[in-house]
Amino acid sequence: MNVFGRRGFSVAAPYLGMLPGLFFFALFGIGPSLATIVLSFTDITGVPNTPWHFVSLDNYYRFFALSNWRDSAETLQRTFLFSGVSTIAQNSIALGAALLLNKRLKGHLALRGLIFMPVVLGVTVIGLMWSIVLNPIGGPVSTLLAALGHDSTLLGSYKDAFPLVIMVNIWAYIGTAMLIYLAGLQGIPSELLEAASIDGASGWGKFRHITWPLLTPMVTINVMLSVIGSLKDYQIIYVLTNGANNTSVLALQVFNSAFSGSQQQGYASALSVLQFLMVLIIALLLLAFLRSREVKL
Amino acid sequence: MKLELLPSKLKTPDTGDQLVSQGQKRWRSLRPRRLSSQKMLILTLQYGAMLLLTFIYLFPLIYLINVSLKTPADFYNDPIGMTRTFSIGNYIDAWNQGSFGDYIFNSFLYSVGATVPSLVLTLLMAFPIARGYIKGSRFWYALFVVALFLPGSLIPQFQLIFHLGLYNTQIGYMLLHVGAGPFLVIAYMKHIPRELDEAAAIDGCGYFRYVFTIVAPLAKPILVTVAIFQLIGIWNDLIGPTIYLSDQSYYPMTLGLFTFFGNFGNQWTILAAATLIVAAPLVVIYLVLQRYFIEGAMAGAIK
Repeated sequence: MNVFGRRGFSVAAPYLGMLPGLFFFALFGIGPSLATIVLSFTDITGVPNTPWHFVSLDNYYRFFALSNWRDSAETLQRTFLFSGVSTIAQNSIALGAALLLNKRLKGHLALRGLIFMPVVLGVTVIGLMWSIVLNPIGGPVSTLLAALGHDSTLLGSYKDAFPLVIMVNIWAYIGTAMLIYLAGLQGIPSELLEAASIDGASGWGKFRHITWPLLTPMVTINVMLSVIGSLKDYQIIYVLTNGANNTSVLALQVFNSAFSGSQQQGYASALSVLQFLMVLIIALLLLAFLRSREVKL
Repeated sequence: MKLELLPSKLKTPDTGDQLVSQGQKRWRSLRPRRLSSQKMLILTLQYGAMLLLTFIYLFPLIYLINVSLKTPADFYNDPIGMTRTFSIGNYIDAWNQGSFGDYIFNSFLYSVGATVPSLVLTLLMAFPIARGYIKGSRFWYALFVVALFLPGSLIPQFQLIFHLGLYNTQIGYMLLHVGAGPFLVIAYMKHIPRELDEAAAIDGCGYFRYVFTIVAPLAKPILVTVAIFQLIGIWNDLIGPTIYLSDQSYYPMTLGLFTFFGNFGNQWTILAAATLIVAAPLVVIYLVLQRYFIEGAMAGAIK
């Protein structure tokens, strides 16, 4: 109950206060989200003053149509590859880094700050910074690879661009996962580890039977965040290659269909809905799997 | 899993293992004891891994600084060697040719202009939901959660802004960023004692005065965290300006830099300087406010 009064203005005050926030939420948040579904059944474009019509499921047919299926399947394949490799690598490295930093050796705070820094620098600076480092003419990576006998135009190469994009993505977002693992490690009661030491447990034994089981809730959070984030992410690809050289994923295709070329926003909306369904199904299956493996103290 | 809890009074003997795991201070105070060679090896490996990570994360920045200090001729002769010139000419050229002075003003305007109203709205939404002072507060909370998972809103947002006549306007771009997820603030406000509300109400303090003068200062730590993340989010937004702002004089730093890359193709020394100009304020802000970033990122996922 509202303690500020039972009558008149005092009762209405909390509602009045919420109104502007809810207005913006409806107008720019949940409203447009739902409208995406409606637009996915139209042939609306981003070109001003052109008529548009409802076209039923045409946009969906187009994605799955036999003539487009090769492209669509390749895009989906890259989307899963991008997300899968990013998630696994990000979490393994982040967990390793968290375990290392949790030893509190000299300089651990500085390193923690450094690994998180890309998250603050943002996708534009990260992407352009790496495109300078990956400069194919005399850049450091290109020189190193050439010395190892691998001549490559890096981001300009049909074969190497996609792995490089994935690597930059992993580099950029390890920080968040690492901080969550660190928070989890700090929540493990030290008595447990001490007791195990007395009983003569080895370092690996302690990790396998104490640290890891107690960290599983953090694994769930991090894996979910990585999977959902990387399935929806396209900005780093946009900055690095804009999908050239075999690097486009579904999310980038949504953006490019909607805002470049003929700006086919109806089709892009349909792609967006398909992306939503894909993320939803994968997220729910994964969540059920990860939850079943969690250990509660 | 078999675990036996020891009473916490029982202290474990100082095994070598603990010397390593319990950090530097302890290690130093017990230095006279010699570490076994196996522990030394592990310690060496751990420091080695830390050095490797430091290198991987510092290298791009150091390389950029190195390139940005070279003259173009110097760079083409030796792209990866240490710079022999310390010319700030690249920075001056990048600043002048990229009109970063205008961009930085725009970035500042958009970030602050959208974050301040968002903060007020978030405060006013989070408080009654946290307290249950409105009917169906659980429904509203659930609605915000569901909204996180709905399809992307990019395209209808564009149509909306366009039909409102706000395409290519600064106000339109800022309006899109008003509003933030209230979850962290709600969670935090649940720790503010309810008795305070009652005491204030009895003393005749009105609802809005209470929220702004009592609740806001008490929730300051979380409001600051939320504000910083939103500020940085808007500052770093590249897609939004690309979609909504066609006039170059409205560009923020991100889009300005991205366009600069398109225009200056392979002039790597100037590009490196421009990238560092854009990165510099972020690095400074990060160094000053690191605590909020780190704590916010840790709290954000757990709640």
